[in-house]
Amino acid sequence: MVDLGQQVIFLLIQLMLLTLVAPLVSGITKKLKAYMQNRLGASIFQGYYDLAKLWQKPTVITAYTSNIFLAAPFIYLLSVLLAAAVLPLGFSVNVVLGDIFVFISLLAIGRFIMTLSSLDAGTSFGGMGGSRELYISALVEPVMLLAVLSAALQPGTTSIAGMHINYTTHYFTISSALSCCAFFAILLAENGCIPVDNPDTHLELTMIHECMTLEYSGRLLAIIHLASMVKGLLIINIFSLLFFPVNLPLLIKIIITAAAIAVVESLNNKMRLFKVRFYMVTAGVLLLLAIVAQ
Amino acid sequence: MNLMITGFFCYILGMLTVFVPKRREMWAHYLAQGATILGSLCVFMSAVVYLLTDMSSPQLICVVGNFSLEMDGWNAVFLAITGLGGIITGVYGLGYGIFYQGNRLRILSSLFTTFVFSMVLVALAQDALGFLLAWEIMAVVSFLLVNHEAEKKGVWQIAYQYLVMTHLGTAAIMIAFFVVGSGAQDLQFSSLAMETLDVGTRNIAFLAAFIGFALKAGLVPLHVWLPNAHPAAPSHVSALMSGVMLNMALYGFGRFIFNFLGPVEFWWGLLVFSVALISAFAGALYAQMATDMKRILAYSSVENMGIVFVGMGTGMLLLTTNHQELAMLGFVAAIVHAFNHSIMKTLLFMSAGSIMHGMSGEKNIEKMGGLGKFMPKTALFTLIGAMGLAALPLTSGFVGEWLTFKSLLHLVNAQAGTGFRLLAAFGFVSLGLTAAFALGAFVRFYGIIFLGRPRTNIGEKAQETSGSMLIAMGISSFLVVAMGVFCAPIVELAIKVINKTLVKLPALTNNLIIMPQANTDAGVYAPLALAALFIVLAVILYGLTYKKNLLVKSDVTWNCGTVSTNRQQYSATGFSKPVRRAFGAILKPIRQKSYLQKSHDYFGREVLYKLSLPDRFTDNLYQPMQHWLVKAAAFLRQIQTGSVRLYVGYVMVAMILVLIWGAMYRG
Repeated sequence: MVDLGQQVIFLLIQLMLLTLVAPLVSGITKKLKAYMQNRLGASIFQGYYDLAKLWQKPTVITAYTSNIFLAAPFIYLLSVLLAAAVLPLGFSVNVVLGDIFVFISLLAIGRFIMTLSSLDAGTSFGGMGGSRELYISALVEPVMLLAVLSAALQPGTTSIAGMHINYTTHYFTISSALSCCAFFAILLAENGCIPVDNPDTHLELTMIHECMTLEYSGRLLAIIHLASMVKGLLIINIFSLLFFPVNLPLLIKIIITAAAIAVVESLNNKMRLFKVRFYMVTAGVLLLLAIVAQ
Repeated sequence: MNLMITGFFCYILGMLTVFVPKRREMWAHYLAQGATILGSLCVFMSAVVYLLTDMSSPQLICVVGNFSLEMDGWNAVFLAITGLGGIITGVYGLGYGIFYQGNRLRILSSLFTTFVFSMVLVALAQDALGFLLAWEIMAVVSFLLVNHEAEKKGVWQIAYQYLVMTHLGTAAIMIAFFVVGSGAQDLQFSSLAMETLDVGTRNIAFLAAFIGFALKAGLVPLHVWLPNAHPAAPSHVSALMSGVMLNMALYGFGRFIFNFLGPVEFWWGLLVFSVALISAFAGALYAQMATDMKRILAYSSVENMGIVFVGMGTGMLLLTTNHQELAMLGFVAAIVHAFNHSIMKTLLFMSAGSIMHGMSGEKNIEKMGGLGKFMPKTALFTLIGAMGLAALPLTSGFVGEWLTFKSLLHLVNAQAGTGFRLLAAFGFVSLGLTAAFALGAFVRFYGIIFLGRPRTNIGEKAQETSGSMLIAMGISSFLVVAMGVFCAPIVELAIKVINKTLVKLPALTNNLIIMPQANTDAGVYAPLALAALFIVLAVILYGLTYKKNLLVKSDVTWNCGTVSTNRQQYSATGFSKPVRRAFGAILKPIRQKSYLQKSHDYFGREVLYKLSLPDRFTDNLYQPMQHWLVKAAAFLRQIQTGSVRLYVGYVMVAMILVLIWGAMYRG
């Protein structure tokens, strides 16, 4: 039982680390984006300041809401943390062994509860965000699973630890390049980055995630923001572990990925909502080629 | 053995309540429901006891003349499903019957008992004739139950459509049995194995069996009756039909695959696999589009039976490879998902019944909204069911789907080559779309019904249900969570059953079980650990965020400075619009826009939008078929002139042909 206790402690350390680092990673992306746009930009620690500010603010909620609305941020964060617990990051954590399907489905809990809460305030903004989120997810999910298949082909398993990219056999092969590009496209869609969603605007024509959370404020909003950041970091982690083409330490991979997101976000426009399907289909075709080429 | 017979007596008692005098209608109802509950309890107990013992030999229940009833591993699973479904819907029916007081209640209750009993007999029958007899009783009784509210608009048409379709299925199954039995001495199941027969005959038998059982399971394109029939029946009956009766198709199909048809051909597996994937996809897509509450659930049944048959198809494909032991996982996934789906679907149909009666008979979700405040308990139970059907982890819906994904990956593990890779890719993409659509469908189902504000006046007066209906929903929602968290024993039981059923294969080794105690490399789903972690983290998070005055005030929703009305909420149709548009090429929605004449020509014109979304299989497959059938009949009518002399001539021609054929056959 000592062993189990040790592992639980390791697990909690992993969760805390991921939670604490997540705002920093999004801060780095934002700073790089600012540089690319010839701005000075906010400090890379701005994410923490924002969270702290929201944490202290009072919360106002709509009179029409039910308990789902109050519970949703917590369940969202919890589901993301469970997904984080499933991720093997080099700590000797064997308590919850990671399976990629479990990981993806745990993130689906967050999507389920957040889209539900978007309907709870009884406004058109929420429904708009929720229905768009479900549309995007219907496009991302199949392509995400194709990516899983392409990564799982060689090892023949779906445990995340077993699927880690093998740099001896997969060093700059065609299939690894294809699936790397494709998963990067998925990552942008899943994290709500620019070609698919633009979280910085507050114009209802373009919003997806911002729409869904429009009615939240104060501490509840802080929790949602934190959960989104951690989720983004988790997807970046999956990218780094399973698809990143060069063998580097994990932290450096994460930073490079964050930088790549900043570059892509600066060089592209947000595409029209109904063009996202062609974008995702492209990623899917790349993955099919990667699967066949392996 | 005695337990099962006791159950039979309970059922027969329940069936006899139809003779209770009409003024004691409610007594008859309670008696019938009580008998159903008791009988189902007996069936469930004896099936579980059998499953938990070694299952080494079939257990003989009774022999009546040439018919014998026997329990072996494969049908014990389905007896357990039927028993559990009977208990839960029986309890629900106790309270639900009140709504049918004075409306042929005695017939409804006694038919309900007969329906459960017939399904038990289907599972237990050990010879083709008995099976077909029980299958036919099941079909006819369910037709009568669908037709129970025949005075409602459109119900009898739906019921007759169901009757015709289900008989086509029975005919196909009959053909399958006769082909299988053509070389056997009798029609006992034990003598029906046809490994010695040639491939052509086995192909015909497979095709007939697949058509017959796919029709019952509601696989695309044979599903058209299902979204009509299930909503038309009384809710506890729809719960049984969707939750239990569909699984009987899996039972029969499994019998054919495992016991009768001999070695599996590659194209069989391919056919089942593809049809099942398309069913799952189409069912989930239509579930996200429908606005009738029970129709959503019926389409979701199509989807889930699709997932179940994906497991079967994957298993069959794997049987044709060199790694037959991997096939096990596909079959295990099929059983587990069938079992879990039966409980979740029963639960949601029961909630739909409660909502309908809270809303004075309304089934259209566009007219609901905000019901969570008026029906808090129903809302909670429905949420659990919806989460299960959205296949979220920690609910029972996830287990089967996870196993199905795992078995799909084995397609590439078992056989190298592009073909199997593309099959796996096809499976992953389709099931990925299915999962996303199912999640969307149940977010929409729950969100539009229970959240936000009431959209109509009826919604503001909705009433919470009470008594036995809540108890039944409570039991099944408890089971959804419990079997999601403690899924390991159920999966192990399914493995045991498959091991017994498929004796020809090597026993399933540990690294395929993929449960917490197993090999680390396979990728593990450990729901217990996840649940424990969830609770720990929830406590920590609650401690961190707790603040006495977290909610400073509540106010109206932000609506850009204006006061929002309940009509500004997203409607169910609007909520699914992005998906409908993106997949418009498949769905082909019909949109009409017209301007009302009376209004002003240029300013403030009143516009009327109409959207209809017919099932494309009805329009593009069945209506042309019907058209050609009528044409062919009209053509054939030409030879029916009514002239007796001509008829005598026909007889003579037929006679001569028979004689010639007979002579050739002898020569």
